Amino acid sequence: MRKYVLLRGFYSLVTLWLLVTIIFAMVRLTGDPVAMKGEIGADATYLERIKHDWGLDQPVYWQYTGFIGNLLKGDFGHSFEKSLPVRDIYFERLPNSLKLGFAAFVISLALGVPFGMLSALKVNTWWDNAGKMIALLGLSMPGFFVGLVLIIIFGVQLGWLPVLGKGSSAFVWSNPATWAPFWFRDWPHLAMPAFALGWYFSGAMLRITRSGMLDVLGSDYIKLVRLKGVPERMVVAKHALKNSLIPVLTFAGLNLLIMVNVAVVIEVIFNWPGVGQLLYDGLSNRDFPMVQGVVLMSGLMIVMLNFVIDVLYGYVDPRIRLSR
Amino acid sequence: MTRRTGIKELLALTAALALVAAAGEAAAQKGGQTPILSGPLVKLDIKEAQIETAKGKPKGTFRIAQHFALDPGWLDPLEHIFALTMQTYDYLVHDALIKPMPQGEATYSLAEHAELAADFRRAAFRLRPGLKFHDGQPLSTADVKWTYENYKGAHAKLFRDKLEHIQIIDDRTIVFHFKEPFLEFMDLYNGAVSGIGWIVPKHYYEKVGRDGFKAKPIGAGPYKFVSQQAGVQMDFEAWEEYWRRTPAAKTIVVKGIRDNAARLAGLQTGELDLAFGMTGKVLPQVMADKNLRWVPNFTSVWHLAFPGYNEPDSPFHDKRVRQAVSLAINREFLVRQETQGVGKVWGNWISPENRDALKGDGKDLPLPEHNIAKAKQVLAQTKSPNGFEFEWFVPFVPYFDMGERILTDLRAVGIRGKLQSLEGPAFRAKMGQGRKGFPGNRTIVQNIDPRPGGAKATIGVYAVCGSPASIVCEPQIEELWTKHEASKNLDERDRLNKAIQKILVEEYYMVPIYWNPFVHAIGPRVLPEGKGIERYYDTLHAPYPWPWEVWEVRADR
Repeated sequence: MRKYVLLRGFYSLVTLWLLVTIIFAMVRLTGDPVAMKGEIGADATYLERIKHDWGLDQPVYWQYTGFIGNLLKGDFGHSFEKSLPVRDIYFERLPNSLKLGFAAFVISLALGVPFGMLSALKVNTWWDNAGKMIALLGLSMPGFFVGLVLIIIFGVQLGWLPVLGKGSSAFVWSNPATWAPFWFRDWPHLAMPAFALGWYFSGAMLRITRSGMLDVLGSDYIKLVRLKGVPERMVVAKHALKNSLIPVLTFAGLNLLIMVNVAVVIEVIFNWPGVGQLLYDGLSNRDFPMVQGVVLMSGLMIVMLNFVIDVLYGYVDPRIRLSR
Repeated sequence: MTRRTGIKELLALTAALALVAAAGEAAAQKGGQTPILSGPLVKLDIKEAQIETAKGKPKGTFRIAQHFALDPGWLDPLEHIFALTMQTYDYLVHDALIKPMPQGEATYSLAEHAELAADFRRAAFRLRPGLKFHDGQPLSTADVKWTYENYKGAHAKLFRDKLEHIQIIDDRTIVFHFKEPFLEFMDLYNGAVSGIGWIVPKHYYEKVGRDGFKAKPIGAGPYKFVSQQAGVQMDFEAWEEYWRRTPAAKTIVVKGIRDNAARLAGLQTGELDLAFGMTGKVLPQVMADKNLRWVPNFTSVWHLAFPGYNEPDSPFHDKRVRQAVSLAINREFLVRQETQGVGKVWGNWISPENRDALKGDGKDLPLPEHNIAKAKQVLAQTKSPNGFEFEWFVPFVPYFDMGERILTDLRAVGIRGKLQSLEGPAFRAKMGQGRKGFPGNRTIVQNIDPRPGGAKATIGVYAVCGSPASIVCEPQIEELWTKHEASKNLDERDRLNKAIQKILVEEYYMVPIYWNPFVHAIGPRVLPEGKGIERYYDTLHAPYPWPWEVWEVRADR
């Protein structure tokens, strides 16, 4: 088992190294970021100074070694566009993304799982058709559309909910007194972006829950339980649900990471100050360090999640670790 | 769209200076000030500051939406970029010795007196008494000197190269000595064009460093910086000890909101009070909303240019082809479609906000004509009587709809091309390379450039052979430009400048379209009600409505 864990850890590190190397190269293919700061017709000295300040006058291999060296020290570099350390900006934004991501995650589960179950239990009935319709709408109506509709109805027309930003609560890492209020305040600000983000994922969640539930309900052991005369409610709650949720939870975990890290469109529409908007700004402005930092952190989360899943799989199913 | 400034070429000498060499002492004493410099002086046209008596306590929160992500770097004048957007923050947190105000394009601010030697080799300022930074520390000439010496932003090299030394006479009096005549000094030092005149506190900057200053700057402006979420929001609080007046709004919150629809929704829900960049598709909704007001805020002129036109095999080499392009464009229609009729068809490609620009309303230059028959007739006399295919029509990002409309107009006379939609940085990078940025010689570029610094500035970037962004390179213009640069006679410079503008338009090297409104929308909490808000837009050449200390909003509930 130890060898297996070490091997998975090594693979994770290689994956991360590949990720940072690829993103380092890719952002540099997008063009010259100095063009963003220097005006058309700006004097060459001014542009050279910016280039020098940003380290872009160095050979690429030197930039790369500097980048990797700094990463090992936990330094993601200075944002070209925001003129501050990427790490500081990222960790200032991360709690906002976690708050939005978790809220959307809960909404996607709250909508997807019960409707998926209902759909499976009442297969080929009106309930099932309604579930399929919800799934279809969830998957086919993009978040930005749902977001804009919500803004028009609940923000502009009814005036019930604020449409911009996250509210006044702030999460300050160095001040524990801010942590709890951050999570439990400003829910009106969170409601629409979380729903718009969660809505999209709820469709997929519904489909997976439904198919998982149908598989389990058709399995031999469920038939046996039913033959033994166990009440249907117990069959579903105790025997079918638990087993059908295994793929749902794996999928939900990945969804959560996506919601936290790349809710770009929703964050832009609602002006939610999360990491998705950071990535968007970084890409729009050729802010190499910002893009590298955000992608690295997102990648790190996904690699870590996969690592944990791999280790757990290896733990619960010895055949997996032996076969690798 | 941002308004941007340019390099040294862009500086109109006459901007703040009505120039008459006069007896120095007499001129200085006339203003009730003891003279600083000896010898003849330039008579400067710098307006007196309007110091307003206390108007009660600041009240209310004024919420502004910038149309892109906020950059903490904008809070540091030492690294002033060319973007005029940055001056929104200069006017909030910092203060300059002289700066554009409603009273004049150059208005005394931290300085109460300025002198410029007639040989342009010395400039002197006297600061107001009792100036302070937000932390209570005095603002003195040591800070002015330190700011100059540590300035790294736009035009820094020019300032450094020209400087011989800085002489501090006392805490309030400072003299800049230049190695050679520095004709543009007062224009450049004015807060409109660079960051060097916005004074940074030496003691604080040295203590907290570059990053620390950007994270939490202090200055001598009307608003104290409170906090920021980098890229998203900055909060400022009224500084009641500001020398000119007590700021009217207690708190100013600036949010970076890229999405037009989100800015509009924010105004409609009352979460915002002022939103920039409300032109285009959201403008009809702004106009239709009874609770909102809007200000046209004219900036610069849309125009077409033809990179590579001067190569003989380019179809645009023939003046008549360029003329046909101009005749084919239905400008009135474009104005209606793009700006709800707010824009103005204009006959010069340089904004009339520049004092030295020829007026394109028929006064100096004729209004461009829309005449399809004439366009066809002119085209019929060229090598391509039935029209031709060109390679790309490249519109300023993101005005692709407008590009499509112009392409449709051109198609009507047989000039056919494809639209090239670039992303913003790519477009700017291409424009920055001038003619070299557009391979081949069959391209039309649709551009707008609201840079301040006078018409000279814009000509110096696009229409002079030596500029890296040059699109027009003509011996006739070059000759006039060389004379212009060599001349120390401001009347002659003005004449040459205008002669160049005339050639550029009459030869169709630049084809003007319309004068663009960069509409700002204003919510109901802003006082006064009704049209009175237009007074906030009195500062000349300001794409944003500064100064901020005059903006009034209703008290928070």
